Amino acid sequence: MLEELTAGFPILSCILFLPVVGAAVLWVVDDEDTVRSAALTIALVELALCLFVLLRFVPESAAMQFTERVPWIPALGISYHLAVDGISVLFVGLTAFLTVLVVIYSWDTIRHQVKLYMMCLLALETTTMGVFVSLDLILFFVFWELMLIPSYFLIKLWGGGAERHYAALKFVLYTLLGSVFMLVGIALLNINFHEWASLHHADQAYSFDFLDLLSVPIPVSQQMVIFWLMFLGFAFKAPVFPFHTWLPDALLEGPIGMSVVLAGLKLGTFGFMRFSIPLLPDASKSETVVTILVVLGLCAILYGAWMALVQADLRRLLAYSSVSHLGFVVVGLFALNYQSLQGSLLTMINLGFSTAGLFFIAGFLYSRQQTTQLSAFGGMAKQVPLLATFFLIIGLASIGLPGTNGFVGEFLILLGAFEANWWFGAVAVLGVIFGAAYFLWYYERSMLGPLGTAVRVTMSDLQIREMIIAVSLSVMILWIGLYPSPFLRIMNGSVQALVERIHHDQTAAVGGPEIQQRK
Amino acid sequence: MIFSLNLSFSDLLLLLPEIFLTCWLCVVLIVDFVSPRLPKEQLAYLSVAGLVITLGCLAWFDVNHISGALFGNMFVLDRMAIFFKVFILGATILVILSSVEYVNRFTLFRGEYYVLVVMSALGMMFMASANDLLSVFVSLEFSTLGFYILVAYLRDDLASNEAGVKFFILGVFAAGLFAYGISLVYGETGQLVFSEMSSAQATPGLIIGFLLIFAALGFKIGAVPFHSWIPDTYHGAPTPVTAFLSIAPKGAALVILLRIFLVALASFKPVWVYLLVAVSIVSMTYGNIVAIAQRNIKRLLAYSGIAQIGNVLIGLAAGTKMGSDAILFYLLAYLFANLGAFAVVIAVSQAIGKDEIEDYRGLNRRSPFLAFAMLLFLLSLAGVPPLAGFIGKLYIFVAAIKEGLYTLITVGLINIVISMYYYLIVVKQMYINEPIDPSPIRISAPIKTVIYVGLAGTLVIGIYPQPFTDWVVEATLMFSNFVTPAATALPTTVHVGG
Repeated sequence: MLEELTAGFPILSCILFLPVVGAAVLWVVDDEDTVRSAALTIALVELALCLFVLLRFVPESAAMQFTERVPWIPALGISYHLAVDGISVLFVGLTAFLTVLVVIYSWDTIRHQVKLYMMCLLALETTTMGVFVSLDLILFFVFWELMLIPSYFLIKLWGGGAERHYAALKFVLYTLLGSVFMLVGIALLNINFHEWASLHHADQAYSFDFLDLLSVPIPVSQQMVIFWLMFLGFAFKAPVFPFHTWLPDALLEGPIGMSVVLAGLKLGTFGFMRFSIPLLPDASKSETVVTILVVLGLCAILYGAWMALVQADLRRLLAYSSVSHLGFVVVGLFALNYQSLQGSLLTMINLGFSTAGLFFIAGFLYSRQQTTQLSAFGGMAKQVPLLATFFLIIGLASIGLPGTNGFVGEFLILLGAFEANWWFGAVAVLGVIFGAAYFLWYYERSMLGPLGTAVRVTMSDLQIREMIIAVSLSVMILWIGLYPSPFLRIMNGSVQALVERIHHDQTAAVGGPEIQQRK
Repeated sequence: MIFSLNLSFSDLLLLLPEIFLTCWLCVVLIVDFVSPRLPKEQLAYLSVAGLVITLGCLAWFDVNHISGALFGNMFVLDRMAIFFKVFILGATILVILSSVEYVNRFTLFRGEYYVLVVMSALGMMFMASANDLLSVFVSLEFSTLGFYILVAYLRDDLASNEAGVKFFILGVFAAGLFAYGISLVYGETGQLVFSEMSSAQATPGLIIGFLLIFAALGFKIGAVPFHSWIPDTYHGAPTPVTAFLSIAPKGAALVILLRIFLVALASFKPVWVYLLVAVSIVSMTYGNIVAIAQRNIKRLLAYSGIAQIGNVLIGLAAGTKMGSDAILFYLLAYLFANLGAFAVVIAVSQAIGKDEIEDYRGLNRRSPFLAFAMLLFLLSLAGVPPLAGFIGKLYIFVAAIKEGLYTLITVGLINIVISMYYYLIVVKQMYINEPIDPSPIRISAPIKTVIYVGLAGTLVIGIYPQPFTDWVVEATLMFSNFVTPAATALPTTVHVGG
């Protein structure tokens, strides 16, 4: 059986380190075209490995799967612990998928220092994967921090805007500020474990392992402290309103490839779902936390949408629409019921297709007009009908039209939000309306109507590489929109376990030991 | 006090590394004298050979668990002393290797340079074993004597002379404070050996005495407010000497601080923790904020060194076995990153002749290897995972959080963000800006070796730290018995900030 063959094979380590090893190999390649094809090959192999994991993944199960666990720094209780469950496995696939598309997109849009660019991109893929598959909090933090370095270079060296130096520094320092507080939270979790372990004479004195930490009760007062410390880390990264100010700068100034990764992979909200809520259930369901987080989420929905309404630059509009969408995710996370959590998780995945897709569209427009300002567009549907069509499809997904993936996710969130408290839902619904308004208005002004004066008449429609990107994104959007159950089935087990852990008792295991593909 | 000087052969064995190195020092001096035509590189390699043999001897001690005390406990050879001796020897070897080319800038006495470096190292090895106040004083002055000369070695360079004079005046002042402190402590307790002071009562004389001693050692490690000599001395001194000064004396002074605070003053922990917290906070904040404004890479590293010492003092303030483990580990990480960074500085200044941060423009185009090495060293200093500096900071923070030093931790963490800012300024110059002169930079073989060792240390300690954590945990076993009662009593007695 294939399962027996692959049991014990460290596939997650392969997924984790393939890109960075590939990046090291690129170092010795000199020819630019070889660099491009080598990078694409690496990204495709990575995607194949991730698809294999997705196919072998046992759905409807809360168990941690494909576990790899070896001690790393025993003196501090740090281990090298990788695994995926229903919460993280889809992100692994999404990361590999988006990286392939970014490599394809960058094929002819990146013209200088191609090798370094591809190396940074692959290094970024490794660190992002690391965030999703790490189950040891220090290992997670290592990748979380490491991500800053390739991102810094990507924004600084290949960013298009004049303010890119400022944007890169702001991005690094903001994220770092948040994550150092998160590190304190992580250390407190470890100390709590240590106190418990010395009280119960456990073998292990220290542990940063997620599953170990789950098994230890934490006093509510301490949970609150840890929650807010970790909140800062995740909120800066997500970014949750009002910690979002670096996002528009980074997305506007950085290269499109970087924007796709930054906007498409919702690491911050993933962090809430992976670590904060299961580790700190009492704090997460306390009235203070729920109220503050939901209000922040609702503010983000409305603020992001309003700001998006008045933006003339497509990338700035997308940045604010990201803030707005993240508001939905946060509301869903802290409505804390089954539908809302499932909706949040699905929405995070969806944004990887729709928001990232819109950034690709912005990139297509940029390579035609050298800007993403509205003044350079107008009536372009006649010139570039294919581009306009895909812009519409991906855009409608982003505003949640039924039949697209956005609808399923947002609908589940709204359902959950109404169930939790009717006014959460009522305010969130307003966001859906605004969302439709800013997108459709922008679309009308840029694509429909008479031809804009600044639009070049000789503009070509989508090239073959651009078609590949647009079609593959659209397929995913329609697939999740029309037939979401494979995706929901993958999530179900873990989300169910999470809900049980929040609402019933501390000991309900999020990662039960039933199906462990151990060595 | 009566000293018995009946030395047996096995007693001499404990002194073997020091005795051997003293003899070797004379050999180097004689070789330099009798064959003046010998290329000075050979002297460097000869010194390194001696240091490596000493290192081997210490490794043998460590493996065979050889330990003991001599001269009525004035000189101890315990696991911690061995750790610090290895640390100092390692630093000295790397410094000598990075000096090989630089020495050509000296007009006179090129051979004596190596002798002086090894002599300082010898003094610091004695410091690592010093277990009473008198032997600390003698060995401290012995090692500093070499540094007084080394700092002013560029005879025709005004900055170097100024650095030498500043270092000398302040150093002598610190020595005076130290001697006065010793006299007060001896007057109050009648004891000089650390382990026999633990039952002392807190009298005003004792407190003032220890404050004076702390000030003198604070001068050595360059903690605020005893840091004023650091920027000018680092800036003016020959760069390899700066590198030496930035790491080895700090290690040697820290072993004494560890012995004083965790052995002699263990019972006063609830009091001195406030002193250390204050010095640590001020050092980190001052060092990092002033570093932002620096235009010279040596000054930048000087201020970053002040901030790093603030981090080390967090571990000392924790005052536990785990805290001392963390200090030792942090110093190891700092050794590789800091000496590596200085090696890059030396390589660049060999090519360009200057040390301004502006001169690092486009270093990536001129020498991708140097730029990448510098990037890793700076990131390790900033504490970015998975490099050695990150594990060091983590270790220190975990030790301090365990003791409830939340205010200190918060300040430390905010300082990480500030430090990232100025390290990134250098990174930006290297990677983003275009070089003015794009010619490639040639790197000499010894410097390249130092950089490779630095890179290997930074990466290996970061990625596979287990052997090193095991080593430091064993090196500080002597503190484990004292920590157990204090650690359980602490959370109720000390809550700084909270």
